[in-house]
Amino acid sequence: MDSLTALLEGFATALQPQYLLYALFGVFIGTAVGVLPGIGPAMTVALLLPLTYSLDPTGALIVFAGIYYGGMYGGSTTSILLNTPGESSSIVTALEGNRMAKAGRGAAALATAAIGSFVAGTAATLALTFLAPGIAKLAVQLGPADYFALIVVAFLTVGALLGSSVPRGLVSLGLGLLLGLVGTEVLSGQQRYTFGIPSLADGIDVVIIAVGLFALGETLYVASRLRHGPVRIIPVGGGWRTWMTRSDWARSWRPWLRGTAIGFPIGTIPAGGADVATFLSYAAERKLARGGAKAEFGRGAIEGVAGPEAANNAAAAGVLVPLLTLGLPTTATAAIIISAFQSYGIRPGPMLFENQSGLVWALIASLYIGNVMLLVLNLPLVGMWVKVLRIPRPYLYAGILSFAGLGAYALHFNVFDTLTLLVVGLAGFLMRQYGYPVAPMVVGGILGPMAEEQLRKSMAISQGDLLYLVHSPFAITAYVTLAVIVALGVWLKRRKARYEAAPTLVPTGAIAAVDEREPEKS
Amino acid sequence: MTDAAQASLGATAPGEAPSTRRPRAPIGEFAFAAVCAALGVYAIVGAGFIRVPPGSASVLGPRVFPYAVGVLLVAASIAVIVQVARGRRGVPDDGEDIDPDAPTDWLTVGKLIVCFLSQLVLIELAGWPIAVAVLFAGAAWSLGAKRWWVALGVGLGLGLVTQLVFGVWLGLSLPAGPLLDWISIFHG
Repeated sequence: MDSLTALLEGFATALQPQYLLYALFGVFIGTAVGVLPGIGPAMTVALLLPLTYSLDPTGALIVFAGIYYGGMYGGSTTSILLNTPGESSSIVTALEGNRMAKAGRGAAALATAAIGSFVAGTAATLALTFLAPGIAKLAVQLGPADYFALIVVAFLTVGALLGSSVPRGLVSLGLGLLLGLVGTEVLSGQQRYTFGIPSLADGIDVVIIAVGLFALGETLYVASRLRHGPVRIIPVGGGWRTWMTRSDWARSWRPWLRGTAIGFPIGTIPAGGADVATFLSYAAERKLARGGAKAEFGRGAIEGVAGPEAANNAAAAGVLVPLLTLGLPTTATAAIIISAFQSYGIRPGPMLFENQSGLVWALIASLYIGNVMLLVLNLPLVGMWVKVLRIPRPYLYAGILSFAGLGAYALHFNVFDTLTLLVVGLAGFLMRQYGYPVAPMVVGGILGPMAEEQLRKSMAISQGDLLYLVHSPFAITAYVTLAVIVALGVWLKRRKARYEAAPTLVPTGAIAAVDEREPEKS
Repeated sequence: MTDAAQASLGATAPGEAPSTRRPRAPIGEFAFAAVCAALGVYAIVGAGFIRVPPGSASVLGPRVFPYAVGVLLVAASIAVIVQVARGRRGVPDDGEDIDPDAPTDWLTVGKLIVCFLSQLVLIELAGWPIAVAVLFAGAAWSLGAKRWWVALGVGLGLGLVTQLVFGVWLGLSLPAGPLLDWISIFHG
C-alpha cells in the first residue's frame, strides 16, 4: 500500500495546473513529431531534448514522459496512413494496418491502435507502479559484480539481437563503447582519446551520439535515396464516432490484453525492446485467429493492428522498469532518457525511489495522465496529423537538420559539439547504408562508462580475482539467462525474417485501384 | 564498371528478387568494416598511451577497459568482413521516405554535409537565426525544394522563432548575432 500512497502524492504533484500543461505540451509535441515520417520514438526524444533544458527536473521529466508516449502513438498513425513501412516498432502494425487503410478501414485501424495503446499503456503503467518499488528494494542489495552482469546482458542482447547480423550489431556496440571512453576517466583522472582537445575532456554527450545517429544519420541516409514524387497518404473517411463497429470491439479487446501481456515483460528484459514484442504479438494473433479473421490476415485483419500496437506501448512502459529501478537503459530511447536524468544530476537506479521519490512518483502519475490525454488527442485530431504527414519532404528534413543543430549547440554552446555531431551523423549514415543497427551504439555510449565503473569496483573489492564476477547467484543467473535470451532471440529473428520474406496474400488489384485514385486527392 | 552499371540497371527491372538488387562488389561495405577495425586498432594502440598514475591502488587501471573495447571492435569488424566476403551483405535500412531501388545519391549527401558545416562558422559569426536560415534553405534546396526563396523565408522564420522560444523564453544562450543584437527582445 506504500506505493499507492506515494502514487497518490505523485498525482497531487502531476495534477497541478502547470504540470498538467507540461504533460499536455509533451504529449502534443511528442505525437506531432512522432507522426512525422522517418522519425521514430528515439529520434523524437532526442530532437526534443533541448525543450527541457531550462525546466525544473519534475517539469522536464513530465514533458519527457509525454514526448515518450506521444512519439509511440504518433508512429502508428504514420505506418497506418502512409503507403510505406514505418519505424521498426510499428512495421508490424503497418503489415495489417496499412492494408486495412487501403481497404477503406483506416479509421478502424487508427481507432484500434489508439485505444489499444491506451489500454496497454495504462495496464503496463499499473504494472510498473506495483513492480518498480519492489524491484528497487531488491536491487539495493546488488553488488557491482551483479550490475556488471546486468550490463553485459544488456550489451549483448541489444548488440546481438538488433540489425541484420550479430557481428554488425557488435561493431555498432563497439563504436558506442569507444565514444563512451573518450574523456576524462573518473577514477584516476586520466584523459583518454581526447587528442588534448579541452572540449573532449568532458566526454562525448550521449545526446550528441543519439541526435547524430538518429537525426543527422537518418536525414543523410534518406537524402541519399529520397523517394520522389507526391506523398501518398491513404484517405480516412467518416467521422471518428463511427470508427469502430461492435464487431471491431469484439475482435480487438482480446488482442489488446494479449499484446499487453506479451509487451510488458519483454520491455522489462533487455531483449531489443518494442521490436521483438510487436512481432511476437503479431505472430500470436495470427496463430490464434480463427475463421474469417484468419483469412483476413495479410489483407488487413484488425487483430494484427490491435495486438502489436498494444504490445508496442506496453513494452514502452516495460522499458521504464529497468530504467527507473536499475538505471539500465535497454533501448536507444531509454539511453536518451537516462542522459536527460543525468543532466539534472539525478542518477536512476535503486536509490531513486528513496532519494527522489517525489519526482519518480510524479513522473509515473504523469504517465497515466499522458495516456488519457493521448487517447483524447489522437482520435479527434487525426485530420491534423494527416496534414502533418503531408509536409513536403525537403522542408521536413531541412527542419530535422536545423533542430539537430540546435540540440548539439545548446548542449554547451560550443560549435565543437556541432562538429562532433556531424562526424557521428556521417557514421550513422554509413551504418544505415551497410545494414548496421544504430541503437547498440547509443546504448554502448551510455552503458560503457557504467560497465567500466562497476567492473573496476568489483575488481577493487576482489583484489583482482576475476572469479568474483560470477560469485553471486544473481550474476550467474544473469549470465545463464543471457545465453538463453541470445539463443532465443537469434531463433526469433530467423522466424521474423521468414515471415517478412513470405509473399503476402493481398489481392494486388485492389491496392492498385486505391493507388491510382490517390494523386487526385493530394 | 560498365558491367556493374549494366547489372544495376538490370536489377531494377520488375519481378526481380530484392536480394539481387545491388550486385556490385561491396567496396563500401569492406571499407566501412575496415575503418571500424582500424578504429579498434587505434583504441588498442591508444590505450597503451593512457597514463597510469604511479602507485594507484585500484587493481584495474584505466587501460584495461579500452583494451577490451578495442579487441571487441577489431574482432567484430573482421567477422563482418568475413561475412561480406562470403556473400552475406548488409541489408540497407527501410524507411517511409526511402526509395529502396534508388542508387546512393552521394552529391546530395555532400551538399547536406556542406550546409551543416556552415553552422560551425555562422552560429558564432552571424548569429543563430541566420545560421538556421542558411542551413534550412541550403538543405531544402539540396533535397529538391523548387522555390529557394520559400525555403529561405521558412528558414529565416524558423531561426527567429527558435531564437525567441529557446533563446529568450527558455533562456538558452543562443547568440542573436550582430544583425539582431540591437533589438532588445533578442537578448536572453
